[in-house]
Amino acid sequence: MLIRRLKEDAIELMDIEPIEAQLLRQVPGVCDSGGDNRSEARLFSSPADPSEGTFLSDWAEYVRPELRHLFLSARQTVKEDLEKLSNSPGRLGRLVLPRDHSDAWLNALNQARLILATKFNFSDRELSMHESPKWFSRRDLVLQQINFYAEIQERIIDAIEDE
Amino acid sequence: MAETVVETKVETSLGTPWNVVVHDDPVNLMSYVTMVFQRVFGFSKPKAQQHMLEVHYKGRSIVWTGARERAEFYVQQLHGYLLLATLERAE
Repeated sequence: MLIRRLKEDAIELMDIEPIEAQLLRQVPGVCDSGGDNRSEARLFSSPADPSEGTFLSDWAEYVRPELRHLFLSARQTVKEDLEKLSNSPGRLGRLVLPRDHSDAWLNALNQARLILATKFNFSDRELSMHESPKWFSRRDLVLQQINFYAEIQERIIDAIEDE
Repeated sequence: MAETVVETKVETSLGTPWNVVVHDDPVNLMSYVTMVFQRVFGFSKPKAQQHMLEVHYKGRSIVWTGARERAEFYVQQLHGYLLLATLERAE
């Protein structure tokens, strides 16, 4: 897959392999923590130590719903963009994202990576490893998925920084 | 250590300054954290990278110091980008 910025204020994902298309289509679903407490705790981390009681309760009441809305909105944008991913059998896929959707993509990919890393309890060391394992357990495949999403994030950042 | 912006005028009028602290997280990419610092605080790229590296190698970086209300706003912005950020009373 190649990711590049198009002149008309858009980002193009081209030559998308079927397995890459499948992983991309999983992003909105992966972002759903399913109520998993540890994932929720990571997505909505504490903004201060427990001595800041009033601030923390105000945060929970007013800020957390805004953050949840922001994260859901990013997922929805990605989901709608993915419906435009070309899907002809035997041909590589292509997807054009409006430039102003790049933040939603970066956010949703981050949500997906954070939730996968939390659910599968990856260590710092595992997350910084880049060599492929000799055989693949489900956990190894999830690590590959996290790294794939990281690559997409890197390339979107490169594309928007080229401006 | 990365340089930290201190808004002294605000400190004088509202008392104790507050730090915005960003903590290390193995999932957030270095390039992403750098981009977020540039956007939220208007840092130059070298300065944003300096703070990002401080987070990466030292586990945390004080990225801004000043009035409480503004610090709360910045922490909220950083949480919107899914960074681990907290508000702390400045020493």
